[in-house]
Amino acid sequence: MIATLGAKAIQDMINAGRLGRFAWRAITTSARSCARRQTFPLVWTQMNIIGVRSVPVVMITGAFVGMTLAVQAYDQLAGMGLEEHLGVLINISVVKELGPVLAAVMLAGRVGGALTAELGTMNVTEQIDAIRSMGTDPIRYLVAPRLLACLMLTPVLIIYADLMGVVGGALVSFLQLGINSRAYWNFSAYGVELWDVSIGVIKGFFFGGAIALISCYKGFTCKEGAHGVGQACTDAFVASFISILALDFALAVTFKSIYLTFWPLKSLVG
Amino acid sequence: MDEWNDQADQGGQDGPVETVIEVRNLTKRFGSKLVLDNVSLAIEKGKTTVIIGPSGCGKTVLIKHFIALQRPSAGEVYFRDQRIDRLSEHDLDDIRTHFGYLFQEGALFDSLSVAENIMFPIRQHHRDVTRKAMEEVVKAKLAMVGLDGFQNYFPANLSGGQRKRVALARAVALNPEVILYDEPTTGLDPIRSDIINELVLKLEGDLNVTSVVVTHDMKSAYKVGDRIIMLHNGRIIADGDADQIRSHPHPTVQQFIHGQVSEDDLAVLRMSGVVAQSQFLPRDFEK
Ligand SMILES: Nc1ncnc2c1ncn2[C@@H]1O[C@H](COP(=O)(O)OP(=O)(O)OP(=O)(O)O)[C@@H](O)[C@H]1O
Ligand SMILES: [Mg+2]
Repeated sequence: MIATLGAKAIQDMINAGRLGRFAWRAITTSARSCARRQTFPLVWTQMNIIGVRSVPVVMITGAFVGMTLAVQAYDQLAGMGLEEHLGVLINISVVKELGPVLAAVMLAGRVGGALTAELGTMNVTEQIDAIRSMGTDPIRYLVAPRLLACLMLTPVLIIYADLMGVVGGALVSFLQLGINSRAYWNFSAYGVELWDVSIGVIKGFFFGGAIALISCYKGFTCKEGAHGVGQACTDAFVASFISILALDFALAVTFKSIYLTFWPLKSLVG
Repeated sequence: MDEWNDQADQGGQDGPVETVIEVRNLTKRFGSKLVLDNVSLAIEKGKTTVIIGPSGCGKTVLIKHFIALQRPSAGEVYFRDQRIDRLSEHDLDDIRTHFGYLFQEGALFDSLSVAENIMFPIRQHHRDVTRKAMEEVVKAKLAMVGLDGFQNYFPANLSGGQRKRVALARAVALNPEVILYDEPTTGLDPIRSDIINELVLKLEGDLNVTSVVVTHDMKSAYKVGDRIIMLHNGRIIADGDADQIRSHPHPTVQQFIHGQVSEDDLAVLRMSGVVAQSQFLPRDFEK
């Protein structure tokens, strides 16, 4: 029993090490291939697949988050007579937390699943070996464009989710809950700083990187057969989901300490 | 035909034998399963070496070691005089451009069309080639395997034999000096198989290509092979030209080249009930 647990722990450590090495190679290769003209069309194709086709789902996610928040938070605030502060609450939650995290989870499912399945199938049908056999680095050809596309587009998609969240929350507040729109926007503008929006967008950069690296790694290490590919997709989603939440926590702590250290200086300058 | 033909054309026919690939004491294990057992072999330049052997004896694993797609558990692999089994993937990229590798299952990129599959290695290694020049190469390579006109098909819409031939066209797209064929004629009709045999001979004769052909097809082995090697249980049990193999004393070799089943295998089949037990017919469940 203890021996099995120990063996499993060692295996997990080895896998984590492999993922780390894969991630390092992917990141350095991507950085280098930014300068190569050949990479651009590949990145462009991936941006189309990863980014453009994800816009609708991400926007729908954002809109529902905003709308639901409005409905839920209204009762609490109205009880205290603060219903005009609803805008701050909704918009802060959307741009800082819920927009980025839920959009990233959505992408982990939509993009991560597709990446793992595609690369996993290429792996088991020896297409990745074929790339190697022709003297091309599969990480450069397959992983770098996908990683770059995810890094560039996840923040953009998060902005879409934020926008829709803000719009959705506002519409429910005005039309269904009958809140004065002027007060709503005033309080929002007062409460939401550029800093809050930037945090959400920067988070997106990290989430996108995590999704791409984990999904590509799972595809590259996929086991033989249809079952192997399915298993890799499941593993990739679970691992991406957990790392999104863990990164979210780590970034929240980091940004908070940065904020406390540097943001007050702004008032001295301004 | 095109400007890449030149690179393969160097080196004379005469002179002392020159080895292109050499493996020394190569052993390969997968877990506890021993697949290659202390194999040593040198492949001569400009010759066609055929590797035969029963299914699952390690032929594919052996030739994958020649371009370091598999790494040895023990032993050494050389390309010309350079040891390659310890090189990083990055350092191998250059060496691998000297090789063409035909995968047993083709391994075509299923998201690319036939033409794009063949252009892939050219695009990766010759950045300055124009689209038009590439299309001409694709046309020539496809004509070579009898598939001109299939440029815009996708691998999913080809038959198994057609896929294999496209894969062959892709393997020779860069006019490599060494071509490793993993069962080039399996799944092809007899006439098409013979055309592929002629193609192997022509590449060897005209361009002085070094070829390694893995096959089960004895007719093609005798036809293309300057030298035939038989692998059995991870070891080389026979090595010689076609006549030496035909008259080889080893019983396993004789059985293999004549396609005879050994008495032991037959005994299993004859054992009462083995075949019947392995077939579940509906009536078995009616009882
Ligand atoms: N990646 C792998 N992991 C584990 N075992 C493997 C792997 N690749 C090959 N083997 C084992 O190595 C042995 C030899 O395989 P190989 O593919 O070289 O056979 P082969 O001689 O090419 O057979 P065939 O003529 O059927 O293609 C097989 O028994 C196979 O089970
Ligand atoms: Mg094989």
